[in-house]
Amino acid sequence: MLLSVGRCVLCGVRTVPRRLWDKRCNVITGVGAAVLCQRTLSDTRRPPGLEELIRSDVWNDYLKRVQQWGAGAAGSEGGDQQRASSWRDGEKQGWRTRHILPVIKEIRSKEKELTELQQLLADENEDLKTLANAEVAACLEEILNLKYQIAWLLISRDEVDDCSLILEVTAGVGGQEAMLFTAEIFDMYQHYAAYKNWSFDILEYFRSDLGGVRHASASIGGADAYRHLKYEGGVHRVQRVPKTEKQGRIHTSTMTVAVLPQPSEINLTINPKDLRIETKRASGAGGQHVNTTDSAVRIVHIPTGLVAECQQERSQIKNKETAMKVLRAKLYNIKLEDETNKRQSARKIQVGTKGRSEKIRTYNFTQDRITDHRISKSMHNIEDFMLGDELLDEMIQALSDFDDYESLVEIVSN
Amino acid sequence: MNVAPHMLHRLLTRAALLPHRGIGSARATAENLARQWQKIFQDGGVPEAKESSEILIAHALGAKTFCGLAGHLAGSPVSAGQLDHIETMARERLRRVPVQYIIGEWDFLDLTLQMRPPVFIPRPETEELVGLVLADCPELKQSHEPRILEVGCGSGAVSLALLHKLPQARVVAIDKTKAAVNLTQENAERLHLQNRIQILHHDILSDPAENLLALGPVDVLVSNPPYIFTEDMSALDPEIIRYEDHTALDGGPDGMNVIRAILSLSPLLLKPKGAIFLEGDPRHPDMVCKWLQSHPELQLQLLSVVKDFCSKPRFIHIRRGDQSSWS
Repeated sequence: MLLSVGRCVLCGVRTVPRRLWDKRCNVITGVGAAVLCQRTLSDTRRPPGLEELIRSDVWNDYLKRVQQWGAGAAGSEGGDQQRASSWRDGEKQGWRTRHILPVIKEIRSKEKELTELQQLLADENEDLKTLANAEVAACLEEILNLKYQIAWLLISRDEVDDCSLILEVTAGVGGQEAMLFTAEIFDMYQHYAAYKNWSFDILEYFRSDLGGVRHASASIGGADAYRHLKYEGGVHRVQRVPKTEKQGRIHTSTMTVAVLPQPSEINLTINPKDLRIETKRASGAGGQHVNTTDSAVRIVHIPTGLVAECQQERSQIKNKETAMKVLRAKLYNIKLEDETNKRQSARKIQVGTKGRSEKIRTYNFTQDRITDHRISKSMHNIEDFMLGDELLDEMIQALSDFDDYESLVEIVSN
Repeated sequence: MNVAPHMLHRLLTRAALLPHRGIGSARATAENLARQWQKIFQDGGVPEAKESSEILIAHALGAKTFCGLAGHLAGSPVSAGQLDHIETMARERLRRVPVQYIIGEWDFLDLTLQMRPPVFIPRPETEELVGLVLADCPELKQSHEPRILEVGCGSGAVSLALLHKLPQARVVAIDKTKAAVNLTQENAERLHLQNRIQILHHDILSDPAENLLALGPVDVLVSNPPYIFTEDMSALDPEIIRYEDHTALDGGPDGMNVIRAILSLSPLLLKPKGAIFLEGDPRHPDMVCKWLQSHPELQLQLLSVVKDFCSKPRFIHIRRGDQSSWS
């Protein structure tokens, strides 16, 4: 008995972990590619809300449902691996199931081993008990790891997450002060882009008399640019004593940020007849008769009234190309939002129109505090925050974690 | 209030020196300077006062456009050296020197080209001429070594833009002025395109055609020839009439002198089915059409007239017939 158990424990200590390790490797290589391209940082990060969710019954119920669904689908569907990479909505569920099922199986076998190990805890031999205890702990840790792995698989990225985007800032309530704040926010994002090694090309920049900005936009490109900046769309509020204020009163002003994804291939047809292209050269003989330097281009999409402008380049045709890209992004965004609006959602973090009119963040200078109202997170040191590096990044990361958490809750409770 | 224009100009030039030398020095940011010079240009009757002031300041601060300078840069202080540079350039602008000559460069499609008086400054319409050649001759992209001839290359804009877009192509660029030939050469070298371009000092109106024929037939002939009617020359802005080469603008009484020379020679210069792309005055498409009808022996067919971005009939696409004129 002792011998057999001893052998068994020896097995447990030496072979089980190795065998399991090999299996884990299989899981990693099998799903690994997908995991890697999906999450780069998050595999090692464990936001607090997420752990709670993963340990809950809701989570376990969800895994059971997936397992059942997978068992049912396996008979009818067969091998349709070629569609595995597709992200269209209808296939999302199938993709998830296919990639999650192997991990669930892994969890189940781990759980079985756990039960076996727990029986050993009743043994009288103290050494054996200690070994078994350590093994149980390791086993539990591995189960948790596998559950996290499922979480990362489930947090599917938006199709457009990796694409470049157009960031627009517009002064809101508060006159010159709002315009000054708009300029500061625009600078903050310009710095953030530099901090993230993204490109930042200013497309338009309309100044106010006191050095503020009425409206400005920039095209931002780089790794995961949209994934980070999509949470920035909405109304930003500032509370401070404006430079323009002579009696020391605190004012509250606002500005709006819009973040438009700009996928490289937009499936969108624009009829040239719907466009009115405005340049400064519209009158006179043109050609060799005129030498102008104003290369700004403004394009109006007549049916929607949308306007795109570009004055960044000295070449008029280049400005026109950029303005067209901006217009396409705007039209695409309308289409995207129509689709999103169909899926009603109660999430606190909204990307797109619904979020745009909402007050998302307050910059309170008198208290040196920034509060994001969606996640009730407050940070201090506005000056550093507005440098657009670590502090802003921290806020955006917190938003991203919360968004991940909310999307998981949505998935598992459906 | 009646001040003689030249006196007003002198006063304004003097006033122009004040804002940043004295009171303004502490607050000499790009934005403030842009406003100050815009006002001075406006008062001095300089057209595009805002654009001129913004481009000169952006240039002094190392940006192409004021928009590219936006944000924190535009608000930061300007150094004494930069202030001097801006002032020197602004004084020139008050004398109506074109902005492109003052800063010595301008953009044409993807290229930044050197600009030097009196070589003609490319206009935005001509960017469309390049686009038209590329769009209407898709075979240029496929053929092994397409050959293009440009008549009147000026700064080299059209030739170099085509070479940039067509990595297989070779270009012969001719111009009747030495200054243009030199500038095209310089721009070609700066853009590392000099190996595929041959630049000739040649006047199509007076030099012997044999010099061109010796180079062999080409697939495409492109030109933005001087096309302004002589009687319209006097109405041009001071920027153009004072500083740009008149021979690059004046196309004769009907603006057609060089156009006719090109069309007459083209059967010899072009391969069969070769194409001609011309930029012209909005009156020219009809005139060219009539002229071609009275010269059927040239076997040239007007394929299309294309409007520019201001909806003016600006570009003419002509094709040579199948039969070889080479004997």
